[in-house]
Amino acid sequence: MIWLVASALLFSIGAYGALTRRTAILMFLSIELMLNAAALSLISFSKLTGSLEAQVVVLFIIAIAAAEVAVGLGLIVAIFRRRETTSVDELRQLRG
Amino acid sequence: MSIGFWEVLALLVLVGTGLAVVRLQNAVHAALALIANFLVVAGVYVALEARFVAMIQIIVYAGAIVVLFLFVIMLLSAASANVGQDLLPRLGWVAALGALGLAGVLTYAVTRFQPPAGTPALGGGLPQALGPLLYDPEKWLYALLVVGFLLLVATVAAVVLIEPERIVAATSHPAHLRQDQKPSPSAGQQKDEKAVVKR
Amino acid sequence: MQETFLLPLIIALPLLGFVLLGLFGKRIGEPAAGWLASLLVLGSFLLGLVLLLQGGGRWALPDWLPGIPFSLNLDNLSGVMLMVVTGVGFLIHVWAIGYMHGDPGYSRFFSYFNLFIAAMLVLILGDSLPVVFIGWEGVGLASYLLIGFWYHERINVDSARKAFIVNRIGDLGFLLAMGLLWSMFGTLSISELAEKVEAGGYSFTTLTLAGFFLLVGAMGKSAQVPLMVWLPDAMAGPTPVSALIHAATMVTAGVYLLVRHAFMLHDDAYLSGLIVFIGLLTAFYGALCSLGQWDIKRIVAYTTLSQLGFMFVAVGVGAYWVAIFHIVTHAFFKALMFMTSGSVIHALGGEQDVRKMGGMRKYLPATHLHGLIATFASGGLVPLAGFWSKDAILAYSFEYGPWLWFLMLLASVLAALYSIRWYVLVFWGEYRGKEHPHESPAVMLWPNHILMGGAIGVGFMGLPYVIDYKNFIEPFLTKAIGEFPHEKLPVLTEWVLILTSAVVAIAALWWGFRFFQQKMPAWYERFQAAALQGFYADALYNTLLVNPAKGLAELLFGGDKGLLAGFAGLGNLVGGLGSLLARLETGSLRFYLAGLLVALVLLVGWGVLR
Repeated sequence: MIWLVASALLFSIGAYGALTRRTAILMFLSIELMLNAAALSLISFSKLTGSLEAQVVVLFIIAIAAAEVAVGLGLIVAIFRRRETTSVDELRQLRG
Repeated sequence: MSIGFWEVLALLVLVGTGLAVVRLQNAVHAALALIANFLVVAGVYVALEARFVAMIQIIVYAGAIVVLFLFVIMLLSAASANVGQDLLPRLGWVAALGALGLAGVLTYAVTRFQPPAGTPALGGGLPQALGPLLYDPEKWLYALLVVGFLLLVATVAAVVLIEPERIVAATSHPAHLRQDQKPSPSAGQQKDEKAVVKR
Repeated sequence: MQETFLLPLIIALPLLGFVLLGLFGKRIGEPAAGWLASLLVLGSFLLGLVLLLQGGGRWALPDWLPGIPFSLNLDNLSGVMLMVVTGVGFLIHVWAIGYMHGDPGYSRFFSYFNLFIAAMLVLILGDSLPVVFIGWEGVGLASYLLIGFWYHERINVDSARKAFIVNRIGDLGFLLAMGLLWSMFGTLSISELAEKVEAGGYSFTTLTLAGFFLLVGAMGKSAQVPLMVWLPDAMAGPTPVSALIHAATMVTAGVYLLVRHAFMLHDDAYLSGLIVFIGLLTAFYGALCSLGQWDIKRIVAYTTLSQLGFMFVAVGVGAYWVAIFHIVTHAFFKALMFMTSGSVIHALGGEQDVRKMGGMRKYLPATHLHGLIATFASGGLVPLAGFWSKDAILAYSFEYGPWLWFLMLLASVLAALYSIRWYVLVFWGEYRGKEHPHESPAVMLWPNHILMGGAIGVGFMGLPYVIDYKNFIEPFLTKAIGEFPHEKLPVLTEWVLILTSAVVAIAALWWGFRFFQQKMPAWYERFQAAALQGFYADALYNTLLVNPAKGLAELLFGGDKGLLAGFAGLGNLVGGLGSLLARLETGSLRFYLAGLLVALVLLVGWGVLR
């Protein structure tokens, strides 16, 4: 149904943002958008198949997203305290 | 579900705020756009008979998570999105193409979905309905407990990430009690400090 | 003939010498190393003599290889060879004690010398063809080591290699023969093969083929044409080596091999005819080349070649015992000739060019006597040893066909000529060099005395039947080789032949004596220039075989290098590819995310579109 398409669209938009944003925080924000899109698709499926289990899963998604954001932002803060820049392109230590 | 005026409006807002999130240059504006997006999604949830989840969406997702984002944006003064040099200038096009492709593929995928006939009612997705599922040991109880534990871990992690040595050092040797501190040139000032702290 | 362990002991003695001198030679030092080696060989001689007088002996290790025992057999035939090898070998060892004096590789020399004797004994005593082959290869190895003894000089090493490689061609024949015989008869023991062949019932052509391959092996070892090119160059080794290996013993191994397999040859007219042809060719080739050489050792080397040709003719006409008889007489006078040459070289401080010799009879009286006797024996002067064995060959050749007798007579004339030429150029006339010749020490003279005695007297073992004196050697050898019925020539014919060869030899020696003292006429100079080059045999082989092979080797080497370069190139290719792929390792998060996105699109697309 339409909300499935919506979730697909939102997911894609979030993906675009994750690639395009140069600041870590904004990249993370886009990822949250993608996560939300996934949750939306689950709820749609819940409605379509009449299964409440999907909603339970979405609850978990939200809880886990919260945990993830906490840790992720903590990481961002820790990294960028040292570097004094929030540019993602500066993080090149995995280069090999 | 029929597509009426409200559905189209909601869709437009969703897509619009989504685009705003990924394109706005001011981080605070982007976060606010995301909040709007989440609120509309919550409304969609209500329409899809997932009211409890909708409430949780508003309280937790929009009200805590994105707010946390805003805190961090303020803390780091990272309101600007233009930092440094764009080292991958053509990535924008690749991303756009990729995103379009993804959208197309996913849309195609979901249109192929055949919902089963005769779906039972969801009962609005109320806590009474979800409770038995969540707390049933044969269903999601253990998952629930694990997620709870996960939240605890995340909390501890967040604390650890702010360098506890500095906290420990700060808490066990408060600045005014430090041995290595030089005596201040004016005794009066020192007295004031001590006086203040003692109080 | 009983089973006796003394037989392997005969081989073990010189082998022990090889090991001991190889390991401790430097500590044993001069001249003890030489005496040790010589005494070990003498020990083998005495042991062999004892066993032979008892009637021989056998020894075997069964199932050394599956179905093939390691068997040794001392019968009259191998006994005679044994006596020659160890007897003459002992004398040459002793002579070498003096000759090699002062050489830094003294003990190494004797170690190799003993190795040679041991290998030669294995060859002679072997009853099982693989055992013979071990000895065969062993003497080839010893020959290689000894020719290239002074390995710091390139020419010596090249000569050694040449000898080894040409021999190898012969070895291939030997191996093929072994294979054929095994497949035909299921055994490689010579005594058993003899029985089976006599019993009959095999394919004549296959047996001829096997015999032909054996002949190829013999040709390689005995330097017959066309595998003769290694022998002149083998003179790069020290003179004792030339005397022992390339005159008296190793080169006769081919003849011995053929005689051992007489049971295969005597019924086979084609094979025997081929042997006669090859022998004739070699006899003439050697004689003619010798007449053109200026190096004293090369002169003698070519004479050896010629005499080996004689031996092959003897085998070809069925005179098997005569071939062995000739080996015996030839061993004495040829070793004497070499060692006399060596004494002269030693006296002149290393000079080997006969153009710088002459007049040695005045300075080296004892050596001169040796040389004179050697010349007469080699030239076939009656009643010295060389006459009787050569005459026997001529008699049998006459039976084969008077044309053959005539050709062999011609060859004997050449033999007389080259012998006297050697004598005249070295000992007669006036000394043309600048050194101060001195006679050899006693240790070098005494072996030559003994050899001289042998060159004079050994022939009396095998006098023709018309002379009323028992021919010892013929029945002695025939007992082992096999009785092949042979019609004796009429008495008159026999006497005519004897007298003709005697007179011809004397005449040739006298004529040569006069001829070689004068200045050489123009036709001789032209002939001599060609003979010096071995009638361009080496040049021919170089063009036809050696250079193409070298070219191929260069090509393959280049190809191999190219291949390795190609593999290296392949490595570079992979490296390049790797570098290319490494450009994906940007370390940039967004780049990786882009990769993820693209992959995701593709995967989902594939999943959906299936």
